Parts: sequence; structure tokens; C-alpha cells
Amino acid sequence: MPDKPIPENDPIVTKSLAPHYVICMVVLMATLFWALWDEDFGQRPWKTFQHEWKSRYSAFLKTARTQSAQSQKEIENSPDYQKLKQDYEAASKSAESRINELRERLREVGAKILAVQDGPGHFTDRRAYVTAVTYDIETTASSSAKQGKQRDLDAYKAEPSTVEMPDGKVQTFKNFGELEEVYNDLKNERTQLSAELGELLKPVTEKKELMDSYLADHMVSLTSSQLLNLQNSVESLTPAIRQINVNEHAANLEREDSAQIVDRCESCHLGIREPVNLTAAAMSLPGKKPDEYARAFTSHPNRDLLRIHDSERFGCSPCHQGNGRATTSVEKAHGTYEHWLWPIFRAGNYEAGCQICHSADMVLVNNDVGWVIGEGKDLFRQRGCVGCHRYEGYDKEPEDLLSIAQEIKLLEQQKKDHLKQADDFMAQADKAATNEEANHLNDRAVALKVENSKVDLRIMQLDRTTKSLLQDMKKVGPNLKDVRLKLNKNWIPVWLKKPTDFRPTTKMPNFRLTDEQIRAISAFVWQSGLTDPPPKHKPGNAAHGKELFETRGCLACHSIGEGDQIEGGTFAANLTRVGEKANYDYLVRWVHNARERTRPYCPYEKKDIGPEDYKKKGVPFVFDLDHSKCPNDGHELQVQNMTVMPSLRLSETDAEDIASYLITLRKKSPSDYADASFMDDPQLKEQGKKWVRFFGCFGCHELSGLEDEGRIGTELTAEGSKPVERLDFALLTEVAERGGNEPIKDPEDLARLPEGPAKEPWYDHQGFFEHKLAEPNIWDQGKIFNDETEKLRMPNLHLTKEQIRALTTFLLGSQENPLPPSYQYKPLDYRKDIQEGWWVVKKYNCMGCHQLIPGQKTILMGLARYQDAQEQLPPKLLTEGARVDPQWLLRFLKNPALNDNDTNRNGIRSYLQVRMPTFSFSENELGKLVRFFQALSRQPFPYIPEEVPVLTAKETEMARSLFSSTAAPCLKCHATGDPVHDRTATAPNFLQARGRLKPDWMEQWMLDPQAISPGTSMPSGLFKRQDGHWVFSGPTPPSFQGYDKDHTKLLVDYILQLTAEEQRRVASGMGRSRAAVTPGPPVAAGSGGRGVSK
Amino acid sequence: MDWKQLWQILSAADNVPIIAMIPLLAFYIYLAGRQAFANDKLIADLSANPALAKTHHRRTWPFRPGWQKEVHVWPFLLRVEFLAAIIVTIILMVWSITLNAPLEEPANPNLTMNPAKAPWYFLGLQEMLVYFDPWIAGVVMPTLIIIGLMVIPYIDTNPLGSGYYTWKQRKFAISTFLFGFVILWVSMIFIGTFIRGPGWQWFWPGQTWDHNRLIYEVNRDLPDLLGITSNLWKGIFGAIVVGGYFVIGGLIVNGLFRRYNPKDYKRMSLLQYSIMMTFFLIMVALPIKILIRLLFHIKYLWITPWFNI
Repeated sequence: MPDKPIPENDPIVTKSLAPHYVICMVVLMATLFWALWDEDFGQRPWKTFQHEWKSRYSAFLKTARTQSAQSQKEIENSPDYQKLKQDYEAASKSAESRINELRERLREVGAKILAVQDGPGHFTDRRAYVTAVTYDIETTASSSAKQGKQRDLDAYKAEPSTVEMPDGKVQTFKNFGELEEVYNDLKNERTQLSAELGELLKPVTEKKELMDSYLADHMVSLTSSQLLNLQNSVESLTPAIRQINVNEHAANLEREDSAQIVDRCESCHLGIREPVNLTAAAMSLPGKKPDEYARAFTSHPNRDLLRIHDSERFGCSPCHQGNGRATTSVEKAHGTYEHWLWPIFRAGNYEAGCQICHSADMVLVNNDVGWVIGEGKDLFRQRGCVGCHRYEGYDKEPEDLLSIAQEIKLLEQQKKDHLKQADDFMAQADKAATNEEANHLNDRAVALKVENSKVDLRIMQLDRTTKSLLQDMKKVGPNLKDVRLKLNKNWIPVWLKKPTDFRPTTKMPNFRLTDEQIRAISAFVWQSGLTDPPPKHKPGNAAHGKELFETRGCLACHSIGEGDQIEGGTFAANLTRVGEKANYDYLVRWVHNARERTRPYCPYEKKDIGPEDYKKKGVPFVFDLDHSKCPNDGHELQVQNMTVMPSLRLSETDAEDIASYLITLRKKSPSDYADASFMDDPQLKEQGKKWVRFFGCFGCHELSGLEDEGRIGTELTAEGSKPVERLDFALLTEVAERGGNEPIKDPEDLARLPEGPAKEPWYDHQGFFEHKLAEPNIWDQGKIFNDETEKLRMPNLHLTKEQIRALTTFLLGSQENPLPPSYQYKPLDYRKDIQEGWWVVKKYNCMGCHQLIPGQKTILMGLARYQDAQEQLPPKLLTEGARVDPQWLLRFLKNPALNDNDTNRNGIRSYLQVRMPTFSFSENELGKLVRFFQALSRQPFPYIPEEVPVLTAKETEMARSLFSSTAAPCLKCHATGDPVHDRTATAPNFLQARGRLKPDWMEQWMLDPQAISPGTSMPSGLFKRQDGHWVFSGPTPPSFQGYDKDHTKLLVDYILQLTAEEQRRVASGMGRSRAAVTPGPPVAAGSGGRGVSK
Repeated sequence: MDWKQLWQILSAADNVPIIAMIPLLAFYIYLAGRQAFANDKLIADLSANPALAKTHHRRTWPFRPGWQKEVHVWPFLLRVEFLAAIIVTIILMVWSITLNAPLEEPANPNLTMNPAKAPWYFLGLQEMLVYFDPWIAGVVMPTLIIIGLMVIPYIDTNPLGSGYYTWKQRKFAISTFLFGFVILWVSMIFIGTFIRGPGWQWFWPGQTWDHNRLIYEVNRDLPDLLGITSNLWKGIFGAIVVGGYFVIGGLIVNGLFRRYNPKDYKRMSLLQYSIMMTFFLIMVALPIKILIRLLFHIKYLWITPWFNI
């Protein structure tokens, strides 16, 4: 059998295994060293980061120090610094001799203390023995033993000590008591000496600090000594994990509300919090491109954010996500591998982290604009995502209405129960055995009746809230009950086919409807519409209408023109082709007051109430905010169209003119649309209703019979925390997991993907959201359907790349908050008012006209019309809360005309052509807005107006001279109520200041209007600081001699007491003086008119 | 052929032991077989030549003078074993350095993984859950396996074949082991590791483990197929079927055993024989049940309120 020759000797016994052992042992030792290396570096890549950091950062600091030393030298040579230095030197010189003396004595005393204290048989040693024995005595039980030990201790204490003092002399202390006394004396002496030295040094150190802080304040970067400190600390750095515990109850990890987040990110990202600004380029090796290390070592790009969110407390992963604990590899730490559920937010989506805590803040940063997350929030709301998807905080009126209705029901039941119970008590009282018991039962019955009146009041309150909520409830799309009044019938199917073909910028998404669906849906919508005809109007003047359209502010929300020619805001519809679809009479009504409804809707009866219902009850068919009760059952009616479009308080003729203009906006004639008489086919109606239900049209539109339908989409409040397995990638799961094979083929949709066609795997939240938003029916790919209803319903919102990125950021951050409650942003103070206010401000697009954040661009600012007429722009509201009395603001917001009869005007700025519209805010929103402006300016709320002192005749005279000074002719720009003058006025009438403006703000405004409203026409530099108070910069009459109060204050008080008569007098006087006096040179840079901004 | 999928399964850190086990198992079975057949030949040679038997050493090679008939454990065995221990240590160290523990995401009770797999050594047990109810597959069978392994020394009456490899002298023992361990246990682990994908569905190697895969498969109970509706009759019917298996199977095995293994049969007491028979029949029942399920889509044979088989 064996092929090999059989060995001569038995191999088991004779063969040596030594070579095998040698090889195995060598390999074993090698593996052992490998294991050691792996333990130290292989599993701890952050150590390499820290070594790299040490060398690169200290090299960086070294160069920074040489640069800093140069500029430091320059500062040190400046006379200010030299003076400080001399002060310091003088101070230290004068105290020098005494200081040295004290230091010498301190050293002596210190040496003595040491001598007495240390060594065997000296103070510390003996005291230790005494205290130990004392303890022993205290804990000894038997009294005889106690006494014995006490005797021993006394004997010990009586022993003398010999101490060799620093001067070489030997001193003997009689007993322990004396030793202790000497020791304590020495210590006291040292304390006194130290205190004295401290007193002496204090002025010297103060001078030194002044010098240092002067240097630090005047250096752009850090001073060279600060840099040296940094460098020393970097060089002494030993590799260690740097860890932050994000936990309210660090000691108690078991608590349910503890976040249990542990971040070790700074073990590699060492430069994040360094006081110098580190860029990837600065941290690269010389002459090399930034590598992995250089990118990791950069400092945080937004230090302000870090200041608000202290990293020591918040860590990193609560905002950025990723796996803060992982240290074994970059992928694991960033969470970008399959087993970590929350990968780090990538570039472009960083701000998703904000949403986790700040979902209630529509505007995140008070002095910043252009945040991606902010755009996401706005889009989510404006594009009507909330119509189908519930999201906590968005469009909550319907839910609130429902819960209030339930509460009212409960309260009414409670009332009944109380009455019944009260009757019961009364009956029992009649039969009660004792008087006392009867009284007691009677009292309880009375209490219940009182309780009922409280319930009644509560119900009344709830009714008011209901009214507010009905007013606040808005829909993204128009009311389709008015479809027959409003639209060109034949246009409807064309529109439904693909809305973007008609109006590329529309909010209406493309639903991918089949022709059959279009027929059915349009038939249903048409047939369920109201048939009441709108009142007829005569044709208006289109040219005047065009002018009105362009000047009244319509373009702040609406846009006009197509493609590159587009002008105006994106908040509302583009009106370029509105003439093809709209009915003129309806348009007039809409322009006149968009909120005007054809019929009020009763949510209780669930029907539109018509004249017949009113007639039955014998009441006139009048419904508005003051007549909002249902004639049938007394419940609150929906009396307005649920649109945010306000009323511009135009006259009927003006509305006709604008409508006439709009009707001319068309590319083809309405009659060119193919006939769509199938819409009257009653058989299609039911089918249409089915499809309308299926697609959830009622999410954005009001539709007859579908007012109470719920949202059809999934709730998105915590969409970002859904496990990725719960996101249905359908047949594309594998494709997404492997990447590289982009399933979106449609070029338009492909262009929407923020990152372009997928190359890497995209099986994550970001990939899902981006693909879904780019092509919402993407997950239908490859599937076989028997029925249209099996397909995905989400329409294509024709978003741009940037918009998809913003919405993806928004959704990624829509997570359940993992942080403990004390970390979350849920303010209850003025910041809550700010939070709530932004929702209203954004809802009505206030920022289309008004600037609320410094640097924010309004739509109107961008229009060509206002480039040379800045004074015609609506006022900036940067300090509105500090400017106006909240009570006045409330009145103004209710009725911006500030007049009940003459409403076709601006209440304050009558000189502006652009019109502050009437938004018909509910009580609720009025309150929120007023509180918002007060909170934004940090004003106390409620506001208690200041008492304005009555001016003496002399003061009045002085003030008048200021008021009418030729150097600052106030009435030249400010309106006076004289129509001839007001044609050229560019500022409000002074008579309106009283009750409106806050005096403190007025004074501030006069001093520096540019600081309050940059670009204002109000001139700056009218007053100058002189001898501690503000004086007028122009010439003042002699009566001002010896007047030592602020001229500004005088002028404010005067303006607040100004009467119409006085103003007229001054104005006419000015007219004369202006004629008489040649206009002198302007007092200040911009005086004499609108100057500064131009 | 989905190579990527295949590679993902093969390269998963969890599957390293089973990947290593399959070739190792094949190799050692081959090695043992070769040794056994060589020994069998030697036994035949020696029994043909009694003179040689008296002098011959322990190898299957021809006689050599001077070779010892027996060698000491120390050092001749232990030095080889120690060498083996070192090599295994090296392998384990390299393994533990290069492959970290395959940890996954934090457990989420609301979202279990799919497929949810036991550690590789339990995958055979998990696979049994497909064929039996949890009470049988999870409790009864494992207990019987352990007891069955424990009784082996007590029912093994064959005095031959201990201490050396042989096939001829222990045909029954070796084939029963190969059947129970390799065919049943290892192949069930293999199925559990490589064949069972999302939804514990059957995926042939190289087929994509698609989470959305839908298959049509209706499994029914045997009594239902035969139209038995009453629970009582179902129980009685099942008892008859299972009992029938044990009776008929017992008779067949008894016949075969007596025919091919008469010596063992004679040596065994009635108790030993019946214990052996019981365990043997239960072991054979497992693949039969698997085949009934996979080929005929029959879920259970015997249905009672307490257990299903």
C-alpha cells in the first residue's frame, strides 16, 4: 500500500519535532506581538489622530506665534500701551521695597513653621499621637481603663520637645501645650503677612491685567503668550479618549429620561473647540492637499452655535447624529455602516439636527436668514404637504376644533348632571333629619349651581376659541365649491392633466391622472360646486388696473411673467395666464375681498347654509365675522374663504379695474379650450368622488361633502426616526442597497435629485426621501397593477434640487427627541411668544413686504419699481415692538385703515401706494402677533404707557423752534393732513404719534434712525452729545441758553402733545420762513430730505 | 447567479465557523475512512496469518524488526498534541485579531431582524422548528438528542473496534453516527445558514435574498387532507399514523438489524435493544418528516391540543 519506502526506524519514536516547534513558536510569538499592536493601535485609530494632531497643531501654533508676535509688538509700541506699561512699572516700583521685606519675613516664618512642624517628636508627630490616644480613650468602655489611659496621655503631653530652629539654635518647649501654642502663633503670623502682601500687590496686578487685556482686545488673533500656553498644552498631550456624557442624571443611568448619549467624537476631532480658527488647509502637511487628518482637525465652522449649545453639555451626536461611542473606525463613528440606524447628517443636510429640538421654531436664528432647514419648514407648509401628512404643530386647527367640540359636549353633559344632582340634594334636604344636615345638603346644591355657571362661562370661552379657529383654518388651494362661479369650465380637464404645463410654478402638484380619472374628477368637482351666480360687474379700466396691481403690493405674494421674466413673489399663484381660466365677475369679488364666501358653511350640520335657511328663520342672508352664527342651530359658521389672501380694502371700481387687467393676461382665448361638456354627466360624479377621496384633494381644497375627510398620507412628525426597514423601497430595496443603478429615468425627475444619479448605495433615509420627492411614484417601478388604486398616490411636486434638499433636511430631522427634557427647547417665557409669532408671520407672508430680520430681503425690495424709490417700500419692522404701543398695534392689525368709514387707504403711511391689507386676523392670531412683536424687541408685556410731562409755555416755545427749525424741517417730509403737502410727504403724520409710539423709542429714533431702520429717509446726526446731554446740531434760539436737559426729550414730549391746530400753525409758519430764509447747508449728512438712503 | 449575495453570506463574520467546518469535516471523514480501511486490511491479514499476529507492530506496514509494539503516551503522543494546541492557539489568535465580534445595531423589540438567525451551532435546532411545533423541536428533540448521546455507552455491546479506526467491526455504529451527525445535524446547519433567507424562505445558493419575495406554498395537516374534521378523530388518527410508523418501522429495522448485525443483536439485552430501537426510529423519523413537509407540503401528521407532530 505505501508509495513511499518504509523508514528504517520507527518514525514515532525516532523523528524529531524540534523544527515544527521552532516554527510554531516563532509564529505564535509573532501573533502575540501582532495582538499587542492591534490592542494598542489597530483597535484605537484615534491614537494616530492624536499623534498627528500633536505634531500638526504645534507646528501651526509655532507659525501663528511668530505672526502674532509681530502684531503684538506693534500694539506694544502704541502710546496707550506704553502708558499702561509705565503705570504698571511705577506701581510695582513704589511698592517694591515693602514687598521684598514682606517676602523675606514670610520666608523666615515659613522656615520656622517647618521646623516646628516636621520631624519625629515635633508638632505634627505629637499631635497625631495625642488625637489617636484621645480616640482610644473615647471608645474605651471601662472607666478604670479610661482613667489609666488618660493618665498616660497627660504624662505624654507633659513631655518636653526639642526643636532645632532655622537659625541653628535649639529651642526646648516645656510640654505639648506650649508647642501647639507656638505653632498656632507662627501660622497666624504667616496669614497676616500674606494678607498684607496681597493688599500691596493688588494695585500692581490690576495694572498688569489692564495691560494684558488691552493687548488681548487689540489683537486680531490670540496673543503670543496665549498661543504659547496652547502650544505647551498640545505638547504635553497624552493620548486619551475625550468623552462627553450627555446626561442630565449622570449618576443614574437607569433613569428612563436619561439620554445615555456618550460622545467620543473629540478623540479625533481635536480642533473643534480650539480657540484659534483651524481650517483644513492650515492643518495639512506643508505642500500637501488636505488629507483625512487635516479635515478632521478643523474647528467648528459656527462658533455661535457652539456657544448656545455648550458642547460640554450637548456633545456632538445630538445634533449631528452618528455613533458617538464608536472609536474603532471612521465609518463606525460616523454611523455610516449598516448596523447603525442614525448615520451622521451629510453636507447639505447638516441642519436636520436643528429640527430635532426646534421643530416648533419656524425661524431658527434671529439674525440670520437663508437656512436650509428654514426653507424646508416653509416648503412643507406652503406646498400643502400638511394637506395629506399630519405633522405635529402644522395646520392644527381642524384637530383643535374637534377636541373643542368634544369638550363642549362633555361640559354640557356635566351641566345636566350637576342640575340633576342639585335637585337630588334639595330633595334629600327636605327629608333631612336635622337642620344641620339640611343646610349642608342645601349648600352642596348651591355649590353645584355655581359650578354650572362656571361651566357656562367656560363654554362661552370655548365658543370664542372655535370662532378664532374657524378663522385661522386655511387651505393651501382654492375653494372648489366656487368652481362654477370662478372657472372656465373647459379649462379644468386641461389643468388636471398636468398643472405645470399651464403654470410651471404652481403649488398644485402633478397627479399622473389617466384621462378617465380626469373626466371623473372634473365632473365631480363641477357638479358639486355651488350654483349661486356672483354679482355682475361692469368692465373696468385695465390700464389703471395694471398700475394698481403693480403698486398696491400684489407682487409681494403673486408673480407675473414666465421663465426669466418672472417678477414678484412665489408665495401665491403666478397670474400670467389667469385670463384663460377665470371668470371676470368672480375675479372682481375675489380682488375686492378674497375672504368673501358664496355661502357660509356650518360644521355642525355639515352643509353650506343658503338664503333659504336664513329665510326660514326670517333673518336676512348676511354673514360675516360679526354675523357668524348659524341660523338653524346657533353654532359658529365658517363665514370666510379659507385663504390667506387678505383684503386690500380697494374700492369696487378699483377691484373692477384690477380684474379687468387680470382678465387680459392670457396666451390664448378661453374659448380655444376644447369642449368639456362631459362634466355635466351625472354618471361620472360618483366615480369622480371616489377618485377625489383616493387622491385626497380635500387636503388642500374645500369640496362639498368632503369637508371632514381626514388626511390620507402617513404622519411625518417622526418620519426621520422610523427604522429604515419601515421605509418601503419596494422592489428597489436591492437596487438601493447596492447603488450605482439609478432607477429614476425621467430626465426631469432625474434633474431634481440633489446629488444627481445615485452612484453609491442609497438605502437610507436620505436616499428614500430624495428619491421619493424627486419621483413620488418611484416605488411602483416594476410592479404589476390590476387597478389604478393600487398605485402610489403621492403627486409629483415638481420641486427643484434645492427644495428637495431642504425638505429632505426637514424630514431627516423629524425625529423623536432623544434628549432629556431639560435639553430641549420648550420655552415658556417671551421666547414662546416669538416661537408662536413666527408661525403667523410666515402663514401670511408678512416678510414679502416687511423686513423683520436684519439682512432679510423682502420680495418688494427686489422689484425694479422700488430700486429708486426706497421710501415707497413698506416700513421695516425690526424694532416694531419697541416702537409702538401694543394696544395701538392691536387696533392697527385689526383695521390698518384706522378708520371705520374711509377704509380705502393706509392708516399711518397714507403716502405709500403699497397697501397694508386687512388680514381679518382672529383674536387668537392678533394676540400672538402683538405678543410676538413685543417679545422680539424684549419689551415688557403688558405695556404700561409712560406719563408724558406737560410742557411749560417756554418749553413749548423752545420745542416749537426745534420742530420748525430750517436745519431740520420735520414737516417737509412728514405728512400734515394737508392734501397738497401730503402728495410729496414720505413720512407719517406726527398727530398719530400719541397713543402709538413709545417715547423711549422716539428719542432713540431721532438720535440714530439708520441704526434702527437701515436705509431710512430720516436724516441722521440731528443731535449731538454735549456736556452729557443731547443737543440739537443746528442753530438754536437764545432761549435754549442754560437749558440742561436733552433736546430730544423735549422734542418727543412736544410731538406727543402736538395738536392739529399747532401743527397747522407751524406748517404755515414754516411755509413763510422757508420762503424767507435761503436754505442753509444741511446740518448733517443726510438732512434736508430723504438724503441718506439715496 | 447573484454572486454579490453569495459572497455576502460566505464572508459574513458569523459564518466563518460553518465555512471552515464543511471542508474540515469532509477531510477528517476521509482521513478516518482511509485509516479504517487500512486497519480492516491489516485485521484481515493478521487473522489469516496467526504467526504474524504475534509479532506484528501497530502499523499497517509490513513487519520490521526493532519497531516497538507499543509506544508511551509521554512523550510520543503528548508532544504531538501540544504542537496541535499551539497551532490552534495561533489560529484562534489570528482569527480574533482579524475578525471582530459581529455586533449589530442596538436591539429594538419593535423591529426584529429578518431573517432572524440563531448562532450557527443552533441553526440546526432552528431549522427543526420548520417541521415541528416549538414544543417538540425546541424541548423534546434536544432533550432526546442529549439523552440519546448519553445512552450510547450503555447500549454499545460491541467489544471490538475501540482504540483504533475500523469500518468492518463497527459498521452500524459508524453509519448511524454519519447519518445522525453529518446528514441530519450538519446539513440542517448548512440549510439554516445558506439556504434560509428573509421570511425563512428557501433560497437556493446564489438566489437574491429579496425581502419582497412572495412564494405560493400551502402546507396542510394530514388529517385535513383526508377530510377528518373532529379534533378527537384527528388525535386518534395521528396516534395511529405515528404508532404505525413505530410498529412498521420497528419491524423493518428489526429485520435488517438481525440480518446484518446478528452478533450485536445476540449480545444486547431486551432493554438495550428496545432503547436503541426507540432512539434509532426517532432519529430516522426526523428526515422522513422533513421530506414529507418539503415534498408533500404536509405540516403535521398528529394533531393534539398539547403537541403537534
